[in-house]
Amino acid sequence: MIVCVAVVGHQNNPLYIQSFTEADDALKLHHIVHCSLDVVDERVNNPKKSGPTLNETFLGLLYPTENYKVRFHLAYVDAVSNPFHVPGKKITSRTFAERVSNIVKSFGLSSAG
Amino acid sequence: MSETANDVDGNGESVAPSVYVGQFAQLLEQGGTLAMQLLTDEEYVHYALAEGKRFQDSFEIIALLKRSFETFTKLNAQRMASYCGFEMAREYFAVNEFSNAKQHFDSIASLYRKEGWVTLLWEVLGYLQECSRRLGAVKDFVEYSLEMAALPVSSIGSVQSLSFKECGPAVPASLSQREIIHKEVFELVRGESGLTSNEGNNDLKVTGDQPLHLEIDLVSPLRVVLLASVAFHEQIVKPGAPTLITLSLLSQLPCAVEIDQLEIQFNQSVCNFTIVNGQRPQLDATSNGQPGHRVETAPALMLSTNKWLRLTYDIKSDQSGKLECISVIARLGPYFTICCRAESPASMNDLPLWKFEDRVETLPTKDPSLAFSGQKATQIEELEPQVDLKLGASGPALVGESFVLPVTISAKGHAVHSGELKINLVDTRGGGLLSPREVEPSFTDNPYVELLCVSGLECEDDSQIGTDDIRKIQHSFGLISVPFLNDGDSWSCKLEIRWHRPKPVLLYVSLGYSPHSSELSAQKIHVHKSLEIEGKNAVVFSHQCMLPFRRDPLLLSKIKMGQDSDQVLSLPLNETSILIVSAKNSTELPLQLLAIFIEVDDNDIGKSCTVRHGGEDHSDLALLMPGEEFKKVFSVIPEVNIPKLKMGTVCLRWRRDTGPKGQPSSSATASEVLTKYRLPDINVELSPLVVNLECPPQAILGNPFTYFLRIQNQTHLLQEIKFSLADSQSFVLSGPHNDTIFVLPKSEQILGYKLVPLASGSQQLPRVTVTSVRYSAGYQPPVSATTIFVFPSKPHFEMANMGMSRESIATE
Repeated sequence: MIVCVAVVGHQNNPLYIQSFTEADDALKLHHIVHCSLDVVDERVNNPKKSGPTLNETFLGLLYPTENYKVRFHLAYVDAVSNPFHVPGKKITSRTFAERVSNIVKSFGLSSAG
Repeated sequence: MSETANDVDGNGESVAPSVYVGQFAQLLEQGGTLAMQLLTDEEYVHYALAEGKRFQDSFEIIALLKRSFETFTKLNAQRMASYCGFEMAREYFAVNEFSNAKQHFDSIASLYRKEGWVTLLWEVLGYLQECSRRLGAVKDFVEYSLEMAALPVSSIGSVQSLSFKECGPAVPASLSQREIIHKEVFELVRGESGLTSNEGNNDLKVTGDQPLHLEIDLVSPLRVVLLASVAFHEQIVKPGAPTLITLSLLSQLPCAVEIDQLEIQFNQSVCNFTIVNGQRPQLDATSNGQPGHRVETAPALMLSTNKWLRLTYDIKSDQSGKLECISVIARLGPYFTICCRAESPASMNDLPLWKFEDRVETLPTKDPSLAFSGQKATQIEELEPQVDLKLGASGPALVGESFVLPVTISAKGHAVHSGELKINLVDTRGGGLLSPREVEPSFTDNPYVELLCVSGLECEDDSQIGTDDIRKIQHSFGLISVPFLNDGDSWSCKLEIRWHRPKPVLLYVSLGYSPHSSELSAQKIHVHKSLEIEGKNAVVFSHQCMLPFRRDPLLLSKIKMGQDSDQVLSLPLNETSILIVSAKNSTELPLQLLAIFIEVDDNDIGKSCTVRHGGEDHSDLALLMPGEEFKKVFSVIPEVNIPKLKMGTVCLRWRRDTGPKGQPSSSATASEVLTKYRLPDINVELSPLVVNLECPPQAILGNPFTYFLRIQNQTHLLQEIKFSLADSQSFVLSGPHNDTIFVLPKSEQILGYKLVPLASGSQQLPRVTVTSVRYSAGYQPPVSATTIFVFPSKPHFEMANMGMSRESIATE
């Protein structure tokens, strides 16, 4: 179950964060996402260690089906292709937010079913 | 992290230290048996934290978190380490250790600021705000509050509303919450409300006795609260000429802010001025108490969110140099000031945190070119000099003389105070004036061009120089003080420069002075002049050696080498040779020649070479015009037979011609110069044979005269000589025409002929040819040597005996 989706920029700044939990721990999720950047840093700074997973940019292989990764990426690409989007700034597109919610919902349904 | 700790939590009592050191294990009940299951590190950490929480011992927790913090730092996981620090700070906060908590929250806040995590920063700032309030740190409280109020927390889609429980003391971030904080902090700084602190129930207030002053520098996070951009409209301005300056202020605070007063500060504090808000009541401290301090009134000074407040005023300065706006001080209320460093629009940094937001960005000035290239500093030019500096050029400089160059300073509009004259001699090609080789101590004494001295009109002796006058002369640099001059006066001095080699030189003369005597406006005005002076050799020397008239010593080296290779001149031993020295004026000026003589070198063996100059000694030689050549004849008798004999040095004493006496020239008498020309070494040979022709200089028609041919043998050997005489139409000859004779060693043989001239006028004597059999060398006298003048009848005047005149030019 996906609880949080975040897009982080080059300077480790959050471009988009949305949490999908019922509980009131959104701030906690922010902390978790922020701390997880350490793992990203490690992967980025030590490319040799992640030999077989060199092309693995998703840091946690939970399920065999990888559709959602592609769908997230597509949604991101569409959002930044918007000519009114300024690269490096926050993603303010409501379409992107809707698509992300839909992906999370469908992911939750498929895992449950 | 907390989710997976549930497994261990429930069986907390069953965790026991195991057999192995440092490895804890959990005791599990499986059916009836007991088994030890080793705990992973992660499980152990969760167990330890849970245990700590169970016992509510904050200090235990803090100690554990500190260990985690150190471990994560070692692993280079900065953010995890910061999160541990955050949890530590929360624990300190929970046990009311506010100063410790504040310290940790501060370091975490800087990480969140750097990486732009606004919601996390809001949370931490909330804690910091509360810590400051409890500690009674009003300034910190105000700073954190302002930063929170100016945070970009209300972007669409990025953050949902967070629950109250999670955020600590701060309420969930939203635009309305920012506005509330904004209002609260401004009520505090205007003294309208107080801050309840921890100690007792004292209200901490901002008052006249405890005013509040914030400093915002170029890297402060409070730049979002107030940003000051300053642009001069012109980059270079004349002194006293007005120009425009635009001050632009920007704030990201959610509500509009009314500024009571702005003080603009410059590096030249005379230019500081204040802008007061026309709509606010006048406060006591507006005028700064200084008379003459400039005060402008703006109709309104209202700063709206993300909207530049642009103010343009004129400004001028009389002092030359850089005029830079340092800072802008905004007064908000009677007790609160914010001092902002001025920034140039051309080099303004992005706003922290807001640079990630999609906000509307506008330019600080209406004029886009000023926004891109505007600077907070401008250059005030120097005043125009009103003093004339003249260099009197008196033609090219000649090598060896002391070239005098007058320098005149005339004040035409300014008085000259504290004047300093700088003199520089520079090679036109940019190099130094010293020898081009490596700088050795000896070469610094032999510069090519040298500044000798600077002489003024009045003070010729050192006693008249004042103690604070500067007088410093080096080879290529001079610095002297110029006395005070009133407007309309003038002063001059003379530069004496000597060239040691021909070289073009650039002379730079600069005068620095102050137009006013007051020390306050110690701005100097400079006048520069430069002049290229060519240094030339005055005289070009050459020399020529000749044989005496009608006498030819045989030189064996000449036969061997031939006539063309005259590498080293050979002269016969103990024989007189004629040396002609010529000096050509290679300048465009007439030169007055004073004396010319040859200095003979003294060798170890004493005087080895006799040099005599023939003729009268002229004490005052002729004026040598440009291009003219002066020749002087010397005779040289080498007395020692050595291969390399020094002949000596030709010395020419001369001076520049100063023109007709009626001319009032500043250089009354030019200095005398001694120019030397070294004569080359000569090779001395003993001549084996010498042939002499003896003949009277003139004859009378029909009268016989005797013509002798004398052959000297200077060797120890018998010399066989062949001679032949060709007949001449103009003479009747009696004597042997051809023969071979033998000359005994160290003796001479004379052949005599009787001749009767048959024609008058300039006639050619019969040509004689003498050949030495031993040396295979022949001699034939030249045409000039065999010319004789025949008078038709005996002349009626007395002829003086000219003798062997050395002044007549002999040709070879």
